Amino acid sequence: MSTVQPALSPGGLPGSRAVAAVAWERLRALRPGLTLAALALLFILVAAIAPSLLTSRSPTSIDLGATLQAPSAHHIFGTDQAGRDLYARVIHGTRQSLLIGLGATALSMSVAISLGFLAGLSGRFVDGAINRLLEVVFAFPVLLLALLFVTVFGASATTQIVAVGIGTAPGYARMVRGQVLAVRGSGYVEAASALGHSYPRIIRRHIFPNAMRPLVVVVTLGLGQSIVWASSLAFLGLGVAPPAPEWGALLDAGRGYVTKAWWLEVVPGLTIVAFALAVTTLGRYAQQRLEGANQR
Amino acid sequence: MTGTVDIRVSTADAVPSRASRRSVTGTARRILFRLANAVGVLWAAATVTFFIQAVLPGDRATLILNQETGRAVKRTAAEVAPINRRFGFDDSLFAQYLHYIGGLTHGDLGTSYQLKQPVTTLIADQVGPTLLLTVTALVLAWAIALVLTIATAKRGRIRSALGSGFEVVAAGLPQYWLGVILLVVFAINLGWFPVEGGTGLSGLVLPALTLAIPLAGFLGQVTRDEFEKVLDQPFITSARARGMSDLDVRTKHALRHAVLPAITLSGWALGALFSGAVVAELVFARPGLGQVLVGAASARDIPLVSGVVMLVAGVYVVANLLVDLAYGIVDPRLKDGAS
Amino acid sequence: MKCSLLVRRAAPLVALTVVAATIAACGGGADGSAPAGAAGGPALSPAKPVRGGTIEYGHQQEPPCISGGWVEQAYISRQVFDSLVSQVKGGKIVPWLATSWKASKDQLTWTFKLKPNVKFSDGTPLDAAAIKTNFEYWLNPKTLNSTVADYVGEYYESSAALDATTFQLKLKKPYSPLLSALSQGYFGIHSPAGLKRGVDKECVDPIGSGAFVIQKWSRGQNVTFVRNPNYNSPPANAKHQGPAYVDKLVWKFLKEPAVRYGSLTSGQSQVIYDVPSVDWDEASKKYQVLRYLTPGRPQTLSLNVTRAPFDDVKVRQALAYALDRKNAVKSAFGGAAEYNGNGSLSQSTPDYDPALADAYTYNPDKAGQLLDAAGWTKKNGDGIRTKDGKPLKALVIYGAGSIINADGATLLQTLQEQAKQVGFDLELKPLTLTQLFGGQYSTPDTYQATPGYWTSPTAGVLYIVWRQNLKDRPNYNNSAFYNNPELEKTIEAANSTLDPAEQKALYFKAQKIISDEAVAIGLYTRTSSLAIDTSKLRDVWLEDSQGEPVFSDAYLVKQ
Repeated sequence: MSTVQPALSPGGLPGSRAVAAVAWERLRALRPGLTLAALALLFILVAAIAPSLLTSRSPTSIDLGATLQAPSAHHIFGTDQAGRDLYARVIHGTRQSLLIGLGATALSMSVAISLGFLAGLSGRFVDGAINRLLEVVFAFPVLLLALLFVTVFGASATTQIVAVGIGTAPGYARMVRGQVLAVRGSGYVEAASALGHSYPRIIRRHIFPNAMRPLVVVVTLGLGQSIVWASSLAFLGLGVAPPAPEWGALLDAGRGYVTKAWWLEVVPGLTIVAFALAVTTLGRYAQQRLEGANQR
Repeated sequence: MTGTVDIRVSTADAVPSRASRRSVTGTARRILFRLANAVGVLWAAATVTFFIQAVLPGDRATLILNQETGRAVKRTAAEVAPINRRFGFDDSLFAQYLHYIGGLTHGDLGTSYQLKQPVTTLIADQVGPTLLLTVTALVLAWAIALVLTIATAKRGRIRSALGSGFEVVAAGLPQYWLGVILLVVFAINLGWFPVEGGTGLSGLVLPALTLAIPLAGFLGQVTRDEFEKVLDQPFITSARARGMSDLDVRTKHALRHAVLPAITLSGWALGALFSGAVVAELVFARPGLGQVLVGAASARDIPLVSGVVMLVAGVYVVANLLVDLAYGIVDPRLKDGAS
Repeated sequence: MKCSLLVRRAAPLVALTVVAATIAACGGGADGSAPAGAAGGPALSPAKPVRGGTIEYGHQQEPPCISGGWVEQAYISRQVFDSLVSQVKGGKIVPWLATSWKASKDQLTWTFKLKPNVKFSDGTPLDAAAIKTNFEYWLNPKTLNSTVADYVGEYYESSAALDATTFQLKLKKPYSPLLSALSQGYFGIHSPAGLKRGVDKECVDPIGSGAFVIQKWSRGQNVTFVRNPNYNSPPANAKHQGPAYVDKLVWKFLKEPAVRYGSLTSGQSQVIYDVPSVDWDEASKKYQVLRYLTPGRPQTLSLNVTRAPFDDVKVRQALAYALDRKNAVKSAFGGAAEYNGNGSLSQSTPDYDPALADAYTYNPDKAGQLLDAAGWTKKNGDGIRTKDGKPLKALVIYGAGSIINADGATLLQTLQEQAKQVGFDLELKPLTLTQLFGGQYSTPDTYQATPGYWTSPTAGVLYIVWRQNLKDRPNYNNSAFYNNPELEKTIEAANSTLDPAEQKALYFKAQKIISDEAVAIGLYTRTSSLAIDTSKLRDVWLEDSQGEPVFSDAYLVKQ
């Protein structure tokens, strides 16, 4: 795995090839992707917890004399149609965006864990019933479900959380059930019951922790996806109420200006992509570490 | 829009079913069971949609009246009464439900509250372009994912990193955002593709890419993981020892193993693509169910929304049946054992 | 200037058809009520007209039905229907299906002489009996067109066909805006045979006598119209008499502003509706831009007088002073709409009182004094004023994407920020279509303020909007829930008198009451705009009752 591929610098001299190889090794040791992802996430977390550390501008203060200005040294992300500083809006929108993502993920995980464990640990009948239920919800176009929910109850952070949370729950539930079944059938659980340990104790000590471990990774991956999901609702005009600078709402508002003021659409979009990328990278890294640990 | 999570789910779920698909009779029984299941799923989907919408707050008759006049006012009892009578809103909820399900059994999905046309007609008019878009996007996503995997997996660090890097980025792109960017760059600014409507082939390119690129990211990630595992297997080493070329090893042996989880995923993806198609159709003002669906959902047009839900549920069920069949064809345990 | 130019360009077409010489061809709304300079675009170069061809038109919203009581329906049904009369700039009424009309002395009996030999596109005759059927259909509770009912319901007594070409309308009380009301698309005459097919058919495929016939409605996409080859009943203000020049009209629904404008720039459409404000300046240079400031009620913030804090007139006035509406509108819309300070009537409405436009010019100091006088003297940590410990707060609800577009939403956010400067907290709540139309947010206890408009060619609309909301005679169009018997009586008297001077004085008085009481804060004119690529298409115009686009006179050109 760790051998350097000589094919990388086919045209070079043997000496320079060695130098390149060493440089590559060094770079690889630094894990630039991972470092970058961690830094990005750190920045986003600071923006969520203490936005005023990163900008002194107000995200809502209006300047009718400076509307739709392109990015410049003064406004690094430009300004919007009401002259608001886009950088300040993106930074101040972080908290609400993350809360929607976290809330939705938390909700769907709790639904999924309850259903998944119930299905995985109960008899055939309950398992079958829950499976059918999941199949029905799976067959539902999730977007439509969310759409209906939000159109009727109105657009707010709460309805977005519920809509996205319920919509994504069946996927997690199936996975939890699969994990529970796998752990339940594994050797050490059989061994534990052969030793005469009580069933609740086996669940508590063995099945729960082992089934939950891979979920930790999934949560990080799902977090990015929840934010992407919520911003889809915003695209359909079902985002949070203005003037809140939530990322999805920024995307939605920027769409009408995209031909004349590209930054209003590109910057919030890249922010969402960067966030999803950062959590995915870290999540996959954690996954590799966990799998490595399991193999050992 | 899609979830990395779901990939893992489907892969995990496929494991037990793979083992049970050893004999032809087993497959037939499974399909029969699937069919019965499908009817159940459709019935449940119709029921759930009906009740969700019927009990939600807001008066349906007022909604219909206000939509007809573009006004947001409270309506008097005298105004609402004829509408209630016409649509049967006066009946008990259960009677309305029975009426609806009764219609379903002989293919009558009812008449749209808002558009005043039979739901079956509305759907039949619009389903073609949406199906075309969905299937094109799926094929395109597979093509991108396979080419990427074959060309970059285990082909040196930088190539490999580029390939998987693309997949991660692609998988994290919000579809609608990608769509807007593609639209502005390639249709509005460069003028290579039609800006709206495009019913021809050139009009299909950008919407299909909008859906395919993120999906290709997912399919690619799954296929790559499997592919890399397979390339380490002893039978690959022996094939290479027999003098098989690298490309042959990759396409003839490794790929067949590696695509299995992603095939499972495709059944699910087709359902998810339907949601995505709604977005792509809105962005590109493309014909299809998207506009109708969003309009119906925001107008709480129960018969139309239920009709679309049934359709998508049906597509999902059929797609999964097809996936089951595809599995039987590709499963190397059947083929490799025989050869 | 522009008008005569257009007529001259149309001259080659004289050979093709008979031009109604008696009526000035440019009486219509081609330039609408646009102030000088707003209708821009390149000078028209001579071009060769082509007969036939297809007009590709990019519209914005798609209504659920083609005919009905919403202005969005009037725009599209104008292509299919003819009305009894047509209105031209300045409120003058010209013949359409009715060639002449007469009111009795008591103003209760109206007799219309109809154009003979007019047929619906299904071949049935458009006669007095057909018009009688239409009135009865609109006002029948089972098939009610509630917009028609809002205009004439309280006045209508009966209708009768005296002979094939003489239609008589009897009223319960005099109604002077009658003809203006009749000129709107809602009053387009349907084929009685078509009506018999039932409301569902009438929604999708209404049959009229107009210049175009519906060929196909692809939901979510477009409506395709084909030319009515036998069309013989254009209004007197049309640019030509006789059938349309083009064979086909494709009316596309392009909701996304960038897509709509892109469709024009890429040549997929020759004409688009609702020019996006962000593209306004560019469009004005590259294309012919028509702008029509819709008369009637402008976009207005209604303040709910039944609830705190707007139950106090001082607070209402303070809010009006606190908002720099003029600059906010200019910034949000550019040329795509005009500031309209008078909250009762849009500046293009006959009998609009321009003096009230500046009744509440931006004056935050005065707003502060009024709030102080009203007892909102303390301020909390957020800088919001308080009284008895309660913050000065108001919930503003609005239909997002339907009543208020993206530019309107920008405006509301700007106003919100301005209100904050004087310590007034406006909470914005966008409503989805379901919430908006479902009626949950239409009662006095659900909001403190809401923006809304009502397109209408006459100041008579004041009666619809400001009639009292009483238990036995509810009027939920009165979204401020402001019950003032004197106001109602004044408007009623204005609607009933035929003396123009007296009528004007009464409408002015009504506007003054509304302004003094500050129950409605004027924001901007609802505006129809078209951008036309004149290198491809000429002579599209906007009619004058509410800015419906007219394509029956339009023709394609070769460069």
